[in-house]
Amino acid sequence: MTHDAMIDEWYPVGLFSQLDTNARKTALMGRPIEVAVEAEGHARVTSGDGRSLPVCVRYGHVWSSLGKPQKDLFAIPEADQPGRTLVDVGVIRVRCSPLRAVENFLDIAHFPFVHTDILGAEPHTEVQDYKVEVRQDADEVWATQVKFYQPQAAKSASGGITTEYMYRVPAPTCCVLYKTCPPRPGEWDVITLFVQPLAEDLCDVWPWMALFDDATPMTDLIHFQQTIFLQDRSILENQIPRLLPLDPGMEIPTRADLTSVAYRRWLKRHNYTYGAQLVAQ
Amino acid sequence: MTILGDLDALSFVPWIRRHAAKLGLSQAISHTSSQRIELEVAGPVDLIDMMELGCSLGPFDVWVETIHRTPVDGGGDQVRDRPS
Repeated sequence: MTHDAMIDEWYPVGLFSQLDTNARKTALMGRPIEVAVEAEGHARVTSGDGRSLPVCVRYGHVWSSLGKPQKDLFAIPEADQPGRTLVDVGVIRVRCSPLRAVENFLDIAHFPFVHTDILGAEPHTEVQDYKVEVRQDADEVWATQVKFYQPQAAKSASGGITTEYMYRVPAPTCCVLYKTCPPRPGEWDVITLFVQPLAEDLCDVWPWMALFDDATPMTDLIHFQQTIFLQDRSILENQIPRLLPLDPGMEIPTRADLTSVAYRRWLKRHNYTYGAQLVAQ
Repeated sequence: MTILGDLDALSFVPWIRRHAAKLGLSQAISHTSSQRIELEVAGPVDLIDMMELGCSLGPFDVWVETIHRTPVDGGGDQVRDRPS
């Protein structure tokens, strides 16, 4: 099932800071791989049959591919912006489709019910109209002007605020969230979800952040984000079907799901189907 | 509702009928071809929105490029175009 366009994409396969010459054994799209950092500091990724795979190091992670990536890893200019705290959150294994993990990250409507009193709270459950587009120049899905009331939008937030979001899907298993930055109006906090597809129904999720927050201890920033994602995991692991349906016959989308529908259309357009269910069952 | 794209009408038309039925909407398909399907849909606007959203994705062997919506008598006052 790896013979779709996703084979030529970049995927996160480990945190650069946690690797050494002892290879980390993991998997990519159902194939065993090994990830290591050689004595001279270069990352190396090897397939189960000994083949050296493409590799790059960016945003705290080592990235690789089973195929031949046609372009460089997507850019996140904020990663190089002075004054930001870069947070390697770590890894969370989730028994779900890698596409499901991204789709859940794009979903705002679940905040009051899954992240109660943190990212949302009743009765503030309405998702206001927002804009969704596929930006043709970069070939990315973008959702903008997303506004939502949040009791505690970030570790640095001291009370409830209406948070503005932008979502960006630059690769089939990666999502970048731009979010109102409480201590720095006019700037966006960047919270990403990099998903390593271990199998069609199993993934390692590597959140990573670039924040303007020099007050909160690093461990608290990591703990906050892990808390949020662990709340998501229990939902993700119980979704049926486990793969992401590209035919909406079973999961009927509403207007609040515009981003999800744009994401699914974009996956379908590019034949990005690893972890997708193609026919409604 | 006018649906434009690469449409395999053989699979899409029954899919449209099933999807409308799931939403409790009544529909009448007036034109089908491999590039264009026209239908009238009647029911609450929110459910017609959901119908449009579902059709924009459609079955896997169909690619919907655009959906145009035009109100008919008693069908509300909104016109929505969804670019791809």
